[in-house]
Amino acid sequence: MSECKKHIQSIADYIDGELGPELCSEIEEHLKGCKNCRLMVDTLRQTVILCKDGEREELPESISSKLNEAIKRRWEKKFGKA
Amino acid sequence: MNEKELVKKAQSGDFEAFSRLIEKYKNKIYNLGFKLSGNRHDAEDILQETFLKAVDNIDKFRGESSFGTWLYAIAVNAVNALHQSKKKAELKPIEDFLPGGHGSGDGAKELFEWGDPHELLEQKELNRVIDDTLAEMSDKYSVPFILRYYEDLSVKEVADSMNLSVAATKSRILRARLALRERLSEVFKEKANERV
Repeated sequence: MSECKKHIQSIADYIDGELGPELCSEIEEHLKGCKNCRLMVDTLRQTVILCKDGEREELPESISSKLNEAIKRRWEKKFGKA
Repeated sequence: MNEKELVKKAQSGDFEAFSRLIEKYKNKIYNLGFKLSGNRHDAEDILQETFLKAVDNIDKFRGESSFGTWLYAIAVNAVNALHQSKKKAELKPIEDFLPGGHGSGDGAKELFEWGDPHELLEQKELNRVIDDTLAEMSDKYSVPFILRYYEDLSVKEVADSMNLSVAATKSRILRARLALRERLSEVFKEKANERV
């Protein structure tokens, strides 16, 4: 458990491939003998994949047009004619 | 024309150049607002406030960060202003997400194996669980998580947008990720039990 606690802080860097080789091997050594940490790594990895798979909310055309008009008005106030 | 050149032209009053920057970022900022608020109305307010502030302050942008990072920093302030009065959930410390950790609810038990999540839950339902969980947690966790994994900013860029240290940013992103993992795990477990 204390080993798990020690590694949890670096686990995101490990999953995202941003950990140095020394710490990486240390974590991999721990994972060999700890099923819960293996599951933690696997499900944390899947969490981000599932988020990225989700739909993005499309910007409605009506909001986009309103935005462009508001920006143009503000721009003209600051710089003169757009 | 690259982004730096567009910014330079916009700073000298070229509206066409600024319009091209709007085109590049408007969907991203709208999505950030939608993920954080869970509704179109607030997302629209965040979007508009961000770009109007960008017009007001374009001449103050010195190029120390990328234009995108600068814009996200404005958006984060817009989100903070909008959500000032809305109480959102604080997250427990990182260690407490471990099974057996204080408040993990997992006792000393083994973690639940997900298998194929799509067999347990349709993508639409999955999106709803994820969006609700992000909208409920404090912005100080959801904002860096969204910037990092939905907008693909580096940890350093997220830290710059939020005026935080890299270490604090990493810690907040991990807490959001652990909270989402835990919520998804609960939902998958419920679904799996229903099938037994």
